[in-house]
Amino acid sequence: MQFIPLLFGMTFISFVIIQLAPGDYFTQLQMNPEISPQTIESMRRNFGLDKPVIAQYFYWLGNLARFNLGESFSYHVPVSFLIGQKLKNTLALSVFSIFFTWLIAIPLGVYSAIKEGRWQEKMMSFFAYIGISIPSFLIAMLLVFFAARTMVLPVGGTTSVFYINATGWEKFIDYLKHLLLPGIALTLAEIGWLYRLMKNNFLEALGSPYIVTAHAKGLSDGRIYFRHALRNAVNPMITIFGYTLSSVLSGAALVEIITNWPGMGRLILDAVLSRDLYLVMASLLIGGVLLILGNLVADILIAAADPRVRLR
Amino acid sequence: MEKMLEIKKLEVSFRPAVGESVKILRGVNLSVGKNESLALAGESGSGKTVTARAVMKLLPNNMNFEKGEILIRDRNVMNLKEQEFRKIRGKDVSMIFQEPSSYLNPVFTAGSQVLEAVKGDGPGRKERTIKLLNEVGLKENVFYQYPHQLSGGMQQRVMIAMALINNPGLLIADEPTTALDVTTAYGIVELLKEMMEKHGLSMLFITHDISLAVNFANMIAVMYAGRIVELAGAGEILNSPLHPYTEMLVSCLPEKYKSGDKIKTIEGKVPDFRDLPKGCSFHPRCPYKKEICLREEPGEMKRGEGIVRCFKYGDFVEA
Repeated sequence: MQFIPLLFGMTFISFVIIQLAPGDYFTQLQMNPEISPQTIESMRRNFGLDKPVIAQYFYWLGNLARFNLGESFSYHVPVSFLIGQKLKNTLALSVFSIFFTWLIAIPLGVYSAIKEGRWQEKMMSFFAYIGISIPSFLIAMLLVFFAARTMVLPVGGTTSVFYINATGWEKFIDYLKHLLLPGIALTLAEIGWLYRLMKNNFLEALGSPYIVTAHAKGLSDGRIYFRHALRNAVNPMITIFGYTLSSVLSGAALVEIITNWPGMGRLILDAVLSRDLYLVMASLLIGGVLLILGNLVADILIAAADPRVRLR
Repeated sequence: MEKMLEIKKLEVSFRPAVGESVKILRGVNLSVGKNESLALAGESGSGKTVTARAVMKLLPNNMNFEKGEILIRDRNVMNLKEQEFRKIRGKDVSMIFQEPSSYLNPVFTAGSQVLEAVKGDGPGRKERTIKLLNEVGLKENVFYQYPHQLSGGMQQRVMIAMALINNPGLLIADEPTTALDVTTAYGIVELLKEMMEKHGLSMLFITHDISLAVNFANMIAVMYAGRIVELAGAGEILNSPLHPYTEMLVSCLPEKYKSGDKIKTIEGKVPDFRDLPKGCSFHPRCPYKKEICLREEPGEMKRGEGIVRCFKYGDFVEA
């Protein structure tokens, strides 16, 4: 239950930091000779920006209590509407990439820990090393280049031109096809370090004394790997999984921007650049809630998996 | 008499991350007869645990068998494939370890870990497990408890139950009481004695505590720098030790002091395997050293039931 004060603290500090910087959204508008200073003043007053920062924060908080995230300065529509539009796409991308990253990295990590020192492990670790070294945006750019050249995958957007006339099922397939490019880019960018983490965890478990005991009992290799070592190697991964959940909205930003996937990444980036206060606050709030939720999920899962935690 | 375990001229080498590999077992010979208990005593780093691990064929990856034979129930197991030897582990020979807290898997219940060791299916496996847990002095609810909920002594009892569940003929106990406090350790030693009697068990008991060795075992092998320097009955070791090293170990026993005496120690330290002294590896610490000790290595010389490696008792040189 400690997460409620945590959220207050987090939002308050981010609010103050944003407002500490000189100027606001309307400062840029002052450059425009067609807008009179009186207009800008009245707009500031409308949005409450003439009040002290503390008052503004509580005004925002009061709105929040009524599930009102405020209005975007630049789009003149409710922030919740803006986010709602993009949230679906970002969620689809993140869930796609998290699912495949874990599905591929975990078994590969285990396999290569078992084959430690052999060519299989060396080859996989080599590729993982390359994957970790190349930044996600470069992978995305290379994939976009590849897709544009070969035309095997659609580039940019979520839909094709014929989308309007398509049936429900065709629409879904079309959406998936568009998701594939950013999805693969993000998966490739994440898979390397997760593989390494799993491999190291598994190796550490294999080096533990209880593995010697398991051998001394005359158990088979399979039982030792998949019962004794795996159960212990998975526990630290659960915490990592919690953190991964918290990054579903922000983790994909770079890839989204480069592959022109209309998700939250571009929206938040523009909002920060143009100092669109309430939009930034809303995205920070969602990020914070996700972080807390992710940790909560991780705590519950760890308690389920590790008896030492459960009984404390 | 049937031999439960026989080790002949066993040599094991250690390959460090950098540098050349070194021999850490340099021709170990020993045997354990049926219902017999042999204590392997010596300082840390003398090769006791390596010997035990070698018998289980559970040497760490950086150690290799070089030469020698290991016979379990008169069957040479050196050339058995891993798959074949797995059938022997836990069935003919079991092992318990120094720190039960880290040698038990933290995420499984004590019961499931004992149960898992049972060879073969068939009904009554759980009942058998619980019966054995009772026999080693644990209540039935321990079956459902996790290792961290048990005390060190209880954990070691679980390990013992795990080792004995298939009625092996031979148990290797690698310093089973070192991580425990004195009273708990006493309980474990008494339990091991009781189990030996009840189950007709032979034991290879590894310890650095010579008084515990004398108390526990009928035969004692004293190890120094990867070799057995003296093998004799417990009484002989205590009353008429032959090897200068044994003599010094025994003279250090607190039982031999009057109150107010200064506690004795053996000067020097265990030699580094990478740089063993030429000749007898004990000579730098030996008060009786002669000219030959600096040049030649003493071989195994028979003395009654046992053996000794020391030029005090003849001039048989190690080949």
